Order: sequence, then C-alpha cells, then structure tokens
Amino acid sequence: MAQATTGQAPGVRVDGLTVVYKTPAGELPAVRDVSLTLEPGSITGIVGESGSGKSTLALSLLNAVQPPGRISAGSVEIDGLGDVVGFEGERLRKARGAHIGYVFQAAQNSLNPLKTVGKQLLDLGRSHGVEDRRGLLREAQELLGRMGLDGARVLDSYQHELSGGMRQRVGIMLALVLNAQVVVLDEPTTALDMITQANILKIVREVHAERGLTTLVITHDIGVVAEVADRLAVMYGGRLVEQGPTRQVLGDPRHPYTKGLIKAIPRLVGDIDQARALPGRPPTLATVPKAGCVFRERCALRMDICDTDDPAAVAHGPRIVACHAVKVKEHA
Amino acid sequence: MTLIARRLAGHLARGFVMILVVATISFFIVNNIPGDPMAARFEKLVEGGMSPEAAAQAVKVLYGFQPDTSLWQQYLDYMAGLLRLDLGESITRPGTPVLDVLAEKTKWTVLPVLAGTLLSFLVGIILGVYAAIKRKGKLGDLLAISGSLLHGIPQYVLAMLLVVIFATLIPILPADGPVDILFEPGLNAGYLGSLAEHAVLPVVTYALSAYGGWILAMKSSVVTVLGDDFILASELRGMKRSIVFRYIARNAILPLFTILALSLGLLLGGAVFIEKIFNYPGLGLLLIDSVNERDYATMSGAFLLITVAIIIANIVADLFYTVIDPRVRSGEEAA
Repeated sequence: MAQATTGQAPGVRVDGLTVVYKTPAGELPAVRDVSLTLEPGSITGIVGESGSGKSTLALSLLNAVQPPGRISAGSVEIDGLGDVVGFEGERLRKARGAHIGYVFQAAQNSLNPLKTVGKQLLDLGRSHGVEDRRGLLREAQELLGRMGLDGARVLDSYQHELSGGMRQRVGIMLALVLNAQVVVLDEPTTALDMITQANILKIVREVHAERGLTTLVITHDIGVVAEVADRLAVMYGGRLVEQGPTRQVLGDPRHPYTKGLIKAIPRLVGDIDQARALPGRPPTLATVPKAGCVFRERCALRMDICDTDDPAAVAHGPRIVACHAVKVKEHA
Repeated sequence: MTLIARRLAGHLARGFVMILVVATISFFIVNNIPGDPMAARFEKLVEGGMSPEAAAQAVKVLYGFQPDTSLWQQYLDYMAGLLRLDLGESITRPGTPVLDVLAEKTKWTVLPVLAGTLLSFLVGIILGVYAAIKRKGKLGDLLAISGSLLHGIPQYVLAMLLVVIFATLIPILPADGPVDILFEPGLNAGYLGSLAEHAVLPVVTYALSAYGGWILAMKSSVVTVLGDDFILASELRGMKRSIVFRYIARNAILPLFTILALSLGLLLGGAVFIEKIFNYPGLGLLLIDSVNERDYATMSGAFLLITVAIIIANIVADLFYTVIDPRVRSGEEAA
C-alpha cells in the first residue's frame, strides 16, 4: 500500500445528474439536474431532509443507484478515473473500494454477521487482488489504532461484539484500507450518542487531512456539516437549492429553504419558541412538482414565475443559489 | 472446545430426564389402551373362521403366559430393563427382542426417508436461491408454485400416481418392496444395485412432496438476506460477486439447518403411506401393526425410538448452531 500524501487528492465533478425511480406512475426523478464540484482535498457536506435525494446522490458517486432507480442523465467525473456513470461490470467493481470508499450509516449493519472483521478484510483484499495480505492487515491495524481502537482485537471480532461507534470506525477503515482517495460518508453519526458523534467527526476531519482525501458527507444534521465541511450544499426535493462555503451559507443563507432550516434550529440559550419549524412537509417522489420550483409550496417568497419555471442555479461569487426571488433581489 | 462440551453435557442430562418421562407416560398410555393382545389375536382367528374354542386354545399356545404382576411392578421392570437397553420381547413375535425388531425395521425407514429428505433439501435450497434471485420473473413464480402444488397433493396420491406411471404404464421401475429377493444381502453390486433401483420411486415421492417447503423457506430467507445492509455494503466495497454470493448463501441457509435437523428427528416416525404403497417393512408400518395387535412392548419401543431420535436431533441442531453462528456462541458466554 503506497502511503497517501496530500496534494494528490482527486477532484470530483457531478454535472447535470438526474436519477429516476421507476414507479407505477412512471419514472419519477429523485435527483434532478444536480451539478456539484468536490474540490480536491475538500470536505463537502450535503444536508437535506429524508427523501430529499441526498442518499441517492451519494450512491450515484459509485454508480450504485439500486433498482428500480437508474441514472438517466449527467456525469460523475472523478480525476484519474473518468466518468463512473459509464462504468460497468468488473471496471465498476474495481473502482468501488479501491478508488471510492463508501461508509454506511452507523446504525446499519454493514458487516457480515457470520465472519470476523479480519476475515472480511481479507475477502476485500482478495476481491481487489491485494497480494500482500500481511501488509493489508498491518494497514488496517494502523488505521484502527489511529482511530483509537485496539486493531488486533477488532480484527478478531464479530460485528455483534462491537459497539455502534466501533462499527462506524471499522466502516471507515474498510473504506480507506485500499487507499481510496474519494470517500463518501452517508449519515456517519446518525444513531450514535453525542460523545461518540464528536469523536467520529474528529476522526473524519483528521483522517481526511492526513491521507489527503476528497470527502463527501451526507447528513440531515446541520451541526455535523458545520463541524466538518468546507463547503455545504443544501438539497431539497431532488434539487440542490444552495451551495457555497459552509460559513457563508450558515451565516448568511440566501435561499428561503436554507433560511427556514437555520431558523428551525433551537438555540442553546434563549427562548425555545424562537425556533420556527418550516410550515408544510417536504415533497415525496410522487408529489415533487413536474414544473416550477420544488420549494414553492412552502415558500414565503412565492411568485408567479415559481409555478412555471424551475429556477436555474446561479453563481453569486462562491455561492450558487437556485431561486427566482434571490435573483430578483440581486437585480433590484 | 469446552463451551461445546459444557453445552453437550447439559443437553444430555436434560435429554436423559426427558426420555425417562416420555417412557413413563407412553408405558402407562400404551398399557391402558382398551383391549389386550390376546383378545386381539383371538378375534383375528375367529374372524378367520376358527371356532371360538379352537381359537382360545391357539392363543393360549401362542402366548403361553398370563401377566400376573401388578402394572406398577411391570412398570418398574420395564424401566429397569430400559436402563440396560432391554426393551423386552415382542408380544406378537414371541422370543424376539423388541430392540432386534426395531433395528430390522429401522433400515427400511431410514433408507427412503433419509434419502428423500436430503434430496428434497438439496433440490429445495438450490431452487430456492434461484427463485429468490428471479423472484420478479415467471420462472421464479413457477418454481414456488410447483412446490406448493406438489406439497398440497397428499403423499399417498402422489405415490400411487408414480406407481401407476412408472411401474405399471411404463414399467421401468420396481415398486414391490425394498429389494429384489434374488440377491444375497451384503455388500455386493447386485444387492446394492437392486436396493438403489427399488429406492428410486419412494425417494422421489418423498422428495417431490417435501421440496416445496424447502423452496419457499429458502426463497424467503434469501430475499431477507438480499435486503440486508451488509450485502449492499459488500457490493459498494467492490467485493467479488462470488464472495458476495457466499455471504448471501451462508446467512440464508442458517435458519434452514434447524428445520432440517428437526425433520431428520421426525424421520424415524416413518412415512406410513410410502412404506405401505412401496412395500417397505419400515417403522411406520410396524407402529401401525403393533397398535392393531396391542403389542405393548413393540409399541412402547417404537415410541421411545421416535422420542430419542427427536431429542438427539434437537441437541444436534443446537450444538450445530453453536458451531456455525458466532452470535449464538457469544450469547452463551455472556450468559
């Protein structure tokens, strides 16, 4: 295993990505015309509610959208690898794990319950033609030790012998052990207690910096992205409604949905009633409007044009916002 | 491994107590069945045209004794004999130990039922995996339906159907007992060949009527495992298809081993219809006959054999689980 050095992190460019799911009512888009750039060596966070399409977007990075879904348009360009949307068969399989690591939600059981972690690690090595099995085990132990675990013990354990936080670290180890440079973390801290959450986020940040990774974190928890992400993208109804540097987006949200989200966060000090829940509920696959803005039903700034035209994603400096109201305000 | 040894010791102790309890219960039930063996034989002879006097005389000669001890004393004798593995003598076969009768009959039950169970298990799980993978297609449905359908046909109807087709209309297979009497019993090609040839129809009957259950069980088990997160996780880690397939298979087959072990325990209960139709002098027929003839000793012996088989099967299933499922193993350690 070649040791990772900073500076060689690949960039990822998602362009015009649309993912549709086949339903009795026809093919419905879960992700529509999403463009997103992950700068080399950066941590990008995607926030959104359940059903906003963020997990589907994450799976698209590995061209792993599960049937009945499929990528119907767009590309996912990864430096040094190419457009993974065109990959299939062995080529796709080898890209997964070796180039792109995927870390499952901690609450999910991402390990075979009948095999020890070490045996599954060796299966992984065999799948990717790793000849140096000792080296692989050593690398895994080092990674686990780096994350504060007793590597030898963990490799000798079954899934049910590990706690949620330990499983999550094992998941991160398995995503990185083959030296993948692009890492996708899907809800990395969901279902973990607060202290373990903080630990995992610290580990994500540190390992990211040490190994020179390009990282994407999917979450519904704005606190998580505030903690780790350089850039933040807000997803709603299968669309990216706003993206930009984390501090700017959180400190000065432009899109009415982002504003609503931030207003909904209860403050540690002050009156709990100051937190305002967004009225209405997010659209489902079937209720996402076919034309016009996906957020208009819950939007205070709704205009006539919102019913007919889908707002284009427009760059405002380092920010990208897709909202007619914002555009109007800028011009006014 | 001390854990397995400890578990085994516990199981054996419990099993031993269970056997004693079942032996006691079956002894008293069997001995309280209305009628007695001599009356049964007497009636049979009278029905056969013998005069009542002659019949009474014949019965007396045949059995030659009248039990004169109390039931309680008989029970103690029976249990004492049991501890020495002495099940007494068959009443309708004077002079023959029950153990010998059981041993003689057991092989004609084990042969077709064991082969049938294993064959149906094998066919069932393989087709079950296929039915799970192709569950959206027509072939997957067809497999599941065929299993349910054959499962729904009574075993004796299926058996007679096969006899009519393969032994009568197209006489290519024998259906007249377990083996051709021409051959000398032993490990010679002729005898074994004849054994196998005669076993084809009963084994196929048994397998056909049983494989549907295995298909459905395996199919649902595989579908459950396919939806498990770790399968998708393995794919996202770029695991080879063959390795992912092994993960699926091993996890899916786990619950089926329990059912298999338990059904092997029931095996000695015999398959009465199959034994009857294919003329296999097995345990199922023995049990029916001994009930009709009020042969207490044989009845008790047969019941006991079935009990012991089921208890052993349970123990084997549990120990097997300890070996193949790490979660069961550590559950014990924690307890």
